[in-house]
Amino acid sequence: MNRIGILAQLEGLIRDLFDEYQGPVTEDLSAHDVEQWDSLGNVQFVVLIEKTMDVRFSTEEMASLSNLGELMTLIERKKSL
Amino acid sequence: MIDSSRYPALGKLLDGQLSIFPEHQSYLERRFADADQAHLELADQISDLITRIAHDHLDEIFEDYKWLTGVFVEEEVYFRRNGTYRLSSFEDAERTVYVDPVYMRKYMNGLLASEVWWHNHTNAIGFYKETFLDCLPGSSRHLEVGPGHGLLLYLATQTERCKSLTAWDVSAASLTNTREALSAMGVERDVKLEQYNIYDAPDGEFDSIVFSEVLEHLEQPLEALHVLRKLLTQDGRLYVHAPVNSPAPDHLYLFRTPEEVVSMVEEAGFDVVETRFYPILGVPLERARAFDLGISTLVVATPSEGA
Repeated sequence: MNRIGILAQLEGLIRDLFDEYQGPVTEDLSAHDVEQWDSLGNVQFVVLIEKTMDVRFSTEEMASLSNLGELMTLIERKKSL
Repeated sequence: MIDSSRYPALGKLLDGQLSIFPEHQSYLERRFADADQAHLELADQISDLITRIAHDHLDEIFEDYKWLTGVFVEEEVYFRRNGTYRLSSFEDAERTVYVDPVYMRKYMNGLLASEVWWHNHTNAIGFYKETFLDCLPGSSRHLEVGPGHGLLLYLATQTERCKSLTAWDVSAASLTNTREALSAMGVERDVKLEQYNIYDAPDGEFDSIVFSEVLEHLEQPLEALHVLRKLLTQDGRLYVHAPVNSPAPDHLYLFRTPEEVVSMVEEAGFDVVETRFYPILGVPLERARAFDLGISTLVVATPSEGA
């Protein structure tokens, strides 16, 4: 899957999970931009990604990502292993 | 974030918590953004009690709350991945949590702070006061099983409706903590604190029984409710608080919906009088249900006729 495909999948998850967010979903999007993306929402989001994209994140990775672009890079790296 | 001149205890607690856990700023801003006056007054009262209990170790409470949020994230990850709580037996909880006094102190401190930092916990205390304590008949013989940090028991000591006050816990160390907390909050009334396992409860008769955040720690919660049914007078009232979808290091029994809690109370021989469902983080109930989020489930019940 290429980067555009990953972003499209992530956008679908974000629209479902953080349904109050109406803004654009780009690589710059971060938890600060989405009110529902709190610590609990972050766990839900990341575990949803794990289940839909067949990857696994450590707790440190979950906490350290600062925006979608970094998350996409991490997914790409994990998928290529 | 809040008007500290109107809510001084809450303001002081917020300042202290944020000095140690500044990453929590945006959460706490949201947590109090829509709070009405009644909620802020309640949060201020709880903050005052926490401050009294903590005495000269408030910073330790703040540190332990920060630690607890990390522990809960770990448990949440496990729960989301597996759909179950990590532990399922009391033996495991005892081995990994209860026998470690250092861990237990941090855990209890963190939970104490959560009473004011978490919407659902603050709301639960408000419901307990207004819908349970304030509606008890006078001269109630009052029992709390698992009094923990002692906040609910303290509130019971403040009403003349409770003629006598008793609390049971399976842990002697926990009872010591409760005794110290009651003393720190200035309780002078006689409160009997006795060490009993709910499954080996002595004979007794009580007009009001509180069972708050205990069911989820048990392997056989229905059996415990049956015991409470036998202890409660026919005109008595039961208060139950049990969290749904709420992973924690020592939670064993997973309630997946508030209705499962309510049904279990009914199955044990009670008629439900009132319920309240308060989702975690103050999210709407529909969203909490849709995403299997934590929901504090509160039930006030009376014994069923003929049960």
